[in-house]
Amino acid sequence: MNAIFTIVFIASMIAIAITAPDKLLPSLLGGAEDAAKMALTLFCIYAVWMGLSSLAEKSGLSHGAAKALKPLTRRVFRTDDDEASENLAMNISCNLLGLGGAATPYAVKAIGALEKDKNDFAQKLLFVINATSIQILPTTVIALRASAGSLKAADIFLPSLICTVVSTACAVTLYLLGRKLWR
Amino acid sequence: MALIIPIIFIIVFVFALVKKVNIYDGFTEGIKSAFKFTVSILPCLAAIFMMCAVFEVSGLADKLCRLLSPVFGLLGIPQELTKLVLIKPFSGSGSLAYLNEIIENYGADSYIARCACVCFGSSETVFYISAVYFAGVKVKKLAMPIICVLVATLITTIVACLICRVM
Repeated sequence: MNAIFTIVFIASMIAIAITAPDKLLPSLLGGAEDAAKMALTLFCIYAVWMGLSSLAEKSGLSHGAAKALKPLTRRVFRTDDDEASENLAMNISCNLLGLGGAATPYAVKAIGALEKDKNDFAQKLLFVINATSIQILPTTVIALRASAGSLKAADIFLPSLICTVVSTACAVTLYLLGRKLWR
Repeated sequence: MALIIPIIFIIVFVFALVKKVNIYDGFTEGIKSAFKFTVSILPCLAAIFMMCAVFEVSGLADKLCRLLSPVFGLLGIPQELTKLVLIKPFSGSGSLAYLNEIIENYGADSYIARCACVCFGSSETVFYISAVYFAGVKVKKLAMPIICVLVATLITTIVACLICRVM
């Protein structure tokens, strides 16, 4: 992250200095403003879902779900930690339901819990799975197409499903291969 | 499908009621941690968004697009999609704006727009996710997983463009 950030930032700043030096400050402020707006949007999403998930946690519902999925999380993520598997299970469930916003807090909690065992294999695997999107129903895109007057807004469902599976399968395979080769 | 969300909410609330959990307190407590969480990712968000903004304003994003669109063409990705494919890993809202533009310019049921929709729906904002996920921990060597995801995204884009020709 540091390398990319530094390279992109320096290259962009030099280019701006040459072409339009007066635009640097406004663009930085604009970026920060976008971030603040984004944070507000995210807070709304997280408030709804983390409020709900705190109820699910307190009533023991998410514990039950995690228990049901535990054989899977143990196999795939190689973890025995209860807190980690609970959050992993909730993250995967939310993703499959297409609730991307709800999935993020669980992923962050799971990564925090996995830090205790220094299980960076699982932390990175979770990132790889989430960063390739594993949603079943692309709700945003379908809604967008419908509002643009598409006759068959949902006909991208099957191609999207295939692509989602392809992307996650590719990324996980590459990651497992890469891990073998690097060591 | 629209019923899923109400059903989840009702199940969780009723289950909490049965288990005699204080619903108001529990719900507020969750929001409290949502607030803490949002504040904790804000610095990363601000830095990444500033990077995206200068990258865009500097014209380097456009240059990169022009440079890469012939390469993408060879891989079977229409030139109109280059910008969308390149922006998506950095910015969700930015790429959504391009997706909107593509749908408006070419029509929602055109090949280009359908391709764009599939690519958009099957990829994620990789850099943003990596920043948020690993904000609180000291995990090193993230380059390899990030490259894996980017390569997989590119492969998926090629597959998407193929599939949309036949489906």
